[in-house]
Amino acid sequence: MNPFVLSILLLSLGLGTTLTFASSHWLLAWMGLEISTLAIIPLMAQHHHPRAVEATTKYFITQAAAAALILFASTTNAWITGQWDINFNLHAFPASLLTMALALKMGLAPVHFWLPEVLQGLDLTTGLILSTWQKLAPFILMCQIMPVNSSLITFLGIASTLVGGWGGLNQTQLRKILAYSSIAHLGWMVLVMQFNQQLALLALVIYIPMTFSTFMIFKTNSSTTMNTLAASWAKTPALTAITPLVLLSLGGLPPLSGFMPKWMILQELTKQDIPLTASVAALSALFSLYFYLRISYAMTLTISPNNLNATTPWRLQTTSSTLPLAISTTISAMLLPLAPATLALLSP
Amino acid sequence: MAYIMLTLLIGMVLGVISVASNPSPYFAALGLVLVAGVGCGVLMGHGGSFLSLVLFLIYLGGMLVVFAYCAALAAEPYPEAWGEWSVLGSVLGYLLLVFGGVSWFWGGWYEGAWVPVDELIEFSVVAADSGGVALMYSLGGGLLVVSAWVLLLTLLVVLELTRGLARGA
Repeated sequence: MNPFVLSILLLSLGLGTTLTFASSHWLLAWMGLEISTLAIIPLMAQHHHPRAVEATTKYFITQAAAAALILFASTTNAWITGQWDINFNLHAFPASLLTMALALKMGLAPVHFWLPEVLQGLDLTTGLILSTWQKLAPFILMCQIMPVNSSLITFLGIASTLVGGWGGLNQTQLRKILAYSSIAHLGWMVLVMQFNQQLALLALVIYIPMTFSTFMIFKTNSSTTMNTLAASWAKTPALTAITPLVLLSLGGLPPLSGFMPKWMILQELTKQDIPLTASVAALSALFSLYFYLRISYAMTLTISPNNLNATTPWRLQTTSSTLPLAISTTISAMLLPLAPATLALLSP
Repeated sequence: MAYIMLTLLIGMVLGVISVASNPSPYFAALGLVLVAGVGCGVLMGHGGSFLSLVLFLIYLGGMLVVFAYCAALAAEPYPEAWGEWSVLGSVLGYLLLVFGGVSWFWGGWYEGAWVPVDELIEFSVVAADSGGVALMYSLGGGLLVVSAWVLLLTLLVVLELTRGLARGA
């Protein structure tokens, strides 16, 4: 792709999210969402093989439908209440419509079906943008409309954590597993969003470096299926040793930073006196933990035999920059002692 | 006036049905043109004459291109019109849906719900839609810049998506 066009597209990707963040008016927020959808489409289809084009088409159709629903809901809200403000109390009907539209945009559970299919058709870098940066704008909008129909939000959250765990169980394709992991994590965020938005933001802030590390590790190994991870120990031994930490941090095991959001969210749910929801959410994390553990097993906990020539690539210097991956793996493994500071940083 | 509005609105619903009933692209585009034209009539009847002019010129200008491409790409020797049974079935289904909706909402709408723009204000020199255009240029400068940027971005996106496909890129 032409570097000028690429820079324009990346800048517009930033512009769309910034516009949505900065706007207090529904029309402008919608414009921001549309700009970021438009800007990522050539990036998704840049390799132009049929899978990528199919994924791009699916993404475009879902995002356009969700954006149309957002526009319809905000117009209805303006019609009923005479207000275009995002922070003004929404009428109940457009609020539910908006919740569903934003859930469709982010890929929450009953409307998540596009996400694994789309992510499977993309290369890992674009998939990383899709599952981190593209979630930010709808996430912030969802935070802003938050006191809405409580049972709808809880249903979305619980369904997402369950489906995110269940869907990933039998997958061997890493990108689909990452998509389901994204669904499950968003479910946790949405579950706590109605009670404590700071915790939802914390979960997002911790999720981004974890998923960044995972995507980048897979990209370094240039592997998209679980089989190819078995040769990872010969390519990058140190990274292979660290990967289980990142994966189990995604799963939410205690000494790793992924435990922090789950811990806080469960505490908040218990404080709100809904122990059943908290238990279901905690148990659904076990599904996710199972497939993270399976990747760890295939990659690190076994050393598959290989011929002599294939055991030497680690001696070669890697050409890609390793600093971002180093920082993000450190963050995703060792942030738990800084939990009070992280929480304080995110408090309004 | 109420009868003209009624006719136009019925024409709009029938036009939407004619698009949604899945005929050949020729006739679907024709239905879309019908909907747009009738919709402009409805807007004009409610005091948005400038708005309806803009909509008619620009939207139907775009529709003309779509129509031309449809005719060029999807040329069929035996196009399915609304008389075919496959299409007529869904036409009847949608008509049934419309009648269901009408009977459900019967009495909920009255002529007072159709007050034209500015009708409730005592006196205004400028029509609401032309005044809105002036307001858009005076207050909405930043938004116009953003809109222009989006149009440029869309052009680049379309060019980037379609570039070099003919030579197998």
